Amino acid sequence: MNYTKKEIKEGITIHNIITNKFKTNLYAVFLAAPLTREDVTKTALVVAILRRGTQNIKSQDLISKKLEEMYGASFDCGIEKTGDNHIMKFYLETINEEFLPKKEELTKKSLNILFDIIFNPLTQQGGFKAEYVESEKNKLKQIIEGKINNKRAYSFERCVEEMFKGEPYGLYKYGYVEDLEKITPENLFEYYKEFIGKCKIDIFASGENAPEEMIKMIEHNEQISKLKARAAVYVVDKTIPNEVSTKPENIVEEHMQVGQGNLVLGLRVNSKKENARFIASVYNAILGGGANSKLFQNVREKNSLAYTASSTFRRQKDAIFIRCGIEIDKYEKALSTIKEQVQDMAKGDFTEEDMENAKNLIIGAIKGTTAEQDSEITYYYSQELSESFTSIEDYINKIEQVSKQDIIELAKDVWIDTIYFLRD
Amino acid sequence: MEIIENSRIKEKAYIEKLENGMKVIIIPKPNLDKKYIIWGTHFGSIDNRFIMPKTGEEVFIPDGVAHFLEHKMFEQPNGTNSLDTLMALGLEANAYTTNDHTAYLFECTDNFYEGLDELMDYVQHPYFTDENVEKEKGIIAQEIKMYDDEPNWRLYMNAMDCMYKNNPIKIDIAGSVESISKITPEVLYKCYNTFYNPSNMIMVVCGNFVPEELLKEIKKRLLPKEAQDEIKRIYPPKENSINKEYKEVEMEVSMPIFAIGYKDMEGMENKSEIVKKHIAIEILLNMIIGKSSETYKELYEKGVLISQPDIDYEFSDEYAHITISGESKAPQTVKEKIEETVEKFKEDGLDNEHFERIRRKVYGDYVAEYNSVGDIARMFLADSMKGINSFDYIDEYDHVTKEYTEKILKNVFKKENMVMSVVKCKQDK
Repeated sequence: MNYTKKEIKEGITIHNIITNKFKTNLYAVFLAAPLTREDVTKTALVVAILRRGTQNIKSQDLISKKLEEMYGASFDCGIEKTGDNHIMKFYLETINEEFLPKKEELTKKSLNILFDIIFNPLTQQGGFKAEYVESEKNKLKQIIEGKINNKRAYSFERCVEEMFKGEPYGLYKYGYVEDLEKITPENLFEYYKEFIGKCKIDIFASGENAPEEMIKMIEHNEQISKLKARAAVYVVDKTIPNEVSTKPENIVEEHMQVGQGNLVLGLRVNSKKENARFIASVYNAILGGGANSKLFQNVREKNSLAYTASSTFRRQKDAIFIRCGIEIDKYEKALSTIKEQVQDMAKGDFTEEDMENAKNLIIGAIKGTTAEQDSEITYYYSQELSESFTSIEDYINKIEQVSKQDIIELAKDVWIDTIYFLRD
Repeated sequence: MEIIENSRIKEKAYIEKLENGMKVIIIPKPNLDKKYIIWGTHFGSIDNRFIMPKTGEEVFIPDGVAHFLEHKMFEQPNGTNSLDTLMALGLEANAYTTNDHTAYLFECTDNFYEGLDELMDYVQHPYFTDENVEKEKGIIAQEIKMYDDEPNWRLYMNAMDCMYKNNPIKIDIAGSVESISKITPEVLYKCYNTFYNPSNMIMVVCGNFVPEELLKEIKKRLLPKEAQDEIKRIYPPKENSINKEYKEVEMEVSMPIFAIGYKDMEGMENKSEIVKKHIAIEILLNMIIGKSSETYKELYEKGVLISQPDIDYEFSDEYAHITISGESKAPQTVKEKIEETVEKFKEDGLDNEHFERIRRKVYGDYVAEYNSVGDIARMFLADSMKGINSFDYIDEYDHVTKEYTEKILKNVFKKENMVMSVVKCKQDK
C-alpha cells in the first residue's frame, strides 16, 4: 500500500501517498464543514481572502515571487460542494528536487508557505485586512454574476438548484450577492476563527516522500502545531435514500439569447440496496457514460438531435443528471428520445455488451486515478469523508459484480424529478 | 532507432523514420500504468489549397474539411463506429483538429494492443458515402453553433481578424454551415489520399513500452503504401502590417472579455532559434503581466483585472502572434498599461532579479509538462509538426539570457503590431 494516514490530533489527519510517477510533489489541505445558507458566502469569501497575504508574506505578489523563485511552484485554492459539505481546498505543487538544474531544498519551504496562507492570515485591528476584504467581495460578486457566461455550466447549476430547492445541495458554492453587504473585515475574521476551530482538517502529501519523515515535518510545522484538537463538525458522506416520489416532473424553462438550447434533466435514484452506488454507476454509464451509451447513440448519433448528450451520477445525492446541447426547435423530440432511453433501462432493454462497455469505462477511469496526483488525493479524501474505505481493487471488484438484474431492479426506482431547458 | 535523451529531467525519446516516410516517436515511461498513443497528420484547417503530389492537380477545398474528415474517419462500412469500439474496450478515445494538424488518439491502462488494432485500422480505412456525409453535416452544424455561442471563441477569432487581412488562421476550424454544405465524398477522398499518406504523418506513443517491440507491432499494422513527395501547400502571401487595431462585439457576458494581440512579423523565419525565442517570449509575458508583475498587481488592486490573464504564443510558418486574454471591466486600461510596461522595459532594460526569478518559473512549467503521458505525447506531436524536438525547451533554458530576451522584446512587442478584440456585455439585459 502506498497510502498511509495518521490522525495527529482529533479532527486533524495527515495522509501520505508515495508515488514515483511524477516530476512534481503535491501538497493539499482540505477544510470541511456543513454547507448552509447562512455561511455559504462567507466560506467562499474566506478562501479568496486567505490567498491575498499572511502575517509573514503580506501580499499576493510577494507570495507569487516566493513561488516563482521555487521554480514556479504553483499554489491554487478553491471552494467545492461535495454532498452536503462545503470544502475549502488548497494545493501547492513543486518540482521534485531531483529535476532542478541545481540542487535546492523545496519541500519544507513549500509546506511553510502553504500552511502560512491557510492558518496565519494577515490581520489588521482584529479583522482581515480591510482592503483585501473589499476587493475580494467585489471579485466574488463578479464570479457569482458571471455564472451565466458558460451556458452549459449555468444550465447544469440551475437544474441542481431547482431540484434541491431549500436543501444544502441546492446552494451555489460561491454564495449569493445579497449576503456580501453584511460582511465586514471583523465579522468575517471571527467567522474564520470559528471555522478553523471546528472544521475537519485533512492534509495530503503526494510524491517520493518517506511517510514518517513527511508526517513529522508536517506535525512540527509551526502553524500545524498551534492547531487544537476538535470534534470536527461535518456531514458524513453516507447516502440517505430518496423516498420514491409520484410527483409530476418539475419543468423549468428559462430564456436567454442563445443559438443552442441546453437541456438538463435531474433524475433521482432510490438506492436502498447494498452496493447501490456501484449499481448506479454502471446504470449511469450505460445510459450516458460515453460514446457507446444509449443517450449518445440515440440522441446524437441516430437522430442528430444534439452535439453533446451525456449523464453523470452524483453518488452523495443519489442523483443522475442528463445534459444535452440541442437545437431549440428539436426540444420535444429530444426530450421524448431521452425519456425513451430512461424507460428502456427499466425494461432491461440493454445488452450484455452494453454492460461490459459500461464496466470497462468505469474501471478504466478508476484505474486512471493514480495517474494524476490530484485525482489520487481526491479519491482518498472521498473515502475519508464517507468514513469507509474501499481500495481501488475493491472498487473494481464491486463494479465487476454488478449484474443486469441489479440494474433493472435499480432502474425501476429511478425517476425524472426536474427538467430544465435554457432556450432563446 | 535514434535515441534522444534529456539527462536533466531523465527522459528519453526513441525516434524512427519508416520506409514509407512515417515518423514514429516513442517515449518510454516505465513507472506509469497509463499509455497514450496519438497519430497525427499534417493537415489542419489552414490547408485549403494545395497541389496533389501524385497528379500535380491544384485543389481548392471548402473551409472545414480537415475537421469534417476527422469526424468521418470513425465510421466503418459495417455500420460500426470506431470511437464506440475503442470506448467499449475501456479506452479513452478521441480525435481533434487544429490549425495545422489532425490527431487520433486513445489513452488506456489495459487493452492497448486491441486499441492499436482498431486505431490503425480505422485511420487507414476511410469510408465516405453520400448518405453518411450528408448526415454528418447536421451534427457538425450543431457543433458550429455551439462555438458561435461561445464568447471566448468569438473573441479569439476577432483577434485573428484584427491581426490578419487574409490568412488561413482566420478560418473557423469547423468551417461554416455554408462551407460544409459543399463537402462531398469526393472532396474527402481527395484530401484523405493526399494528407493521410504515411510521409505526412507522425505517431507518438508514451507509456510503459520496450520501444523496439512496440515499433514492430506498429509496423505490422501498417498497410503497404509508398512514400509520396512533399505536398505543396498554397497560402496567401504574408502581410507585413495588421488588419485593424480594434474590434468589438456584444454578447451575453457578465463582464467584458478582451484579447490583446501582438502580431509577430518574423515568426518562424529563423527556425533554429524558434524554441529559444518561444522561451524568451514566455518569460517576457510573465514579466509583463504575470502573477508577480507590478502591472498585474496594480490592475488587480484597482479591480480592473480579477484574475491573471491567459498568455499564449502561437506560431507556424504562416502566422505568429502573442495573445493576452482575460476578463476586465476596462479592457482599454489593460491595453494601455501593458503598452506602457513594454515601453518601460525597453527603455530601462530588464531587472536582473525579476528576469532570473521568471526564468526559473518558466523552467518549472516545462518540467511539470512531463507529468502525464497525454501531455507528453500531445506536446511531442504538436512540436514535431513544426519540426521541433520538445526536449529543446528544457535544454535551451540555459541559453536564454537577459540580453537575448531584451532583443526579442524589441523585435516582437511593437506598438504598431498591437491589436485588441473585445466582447462587451449586451446592453439590453
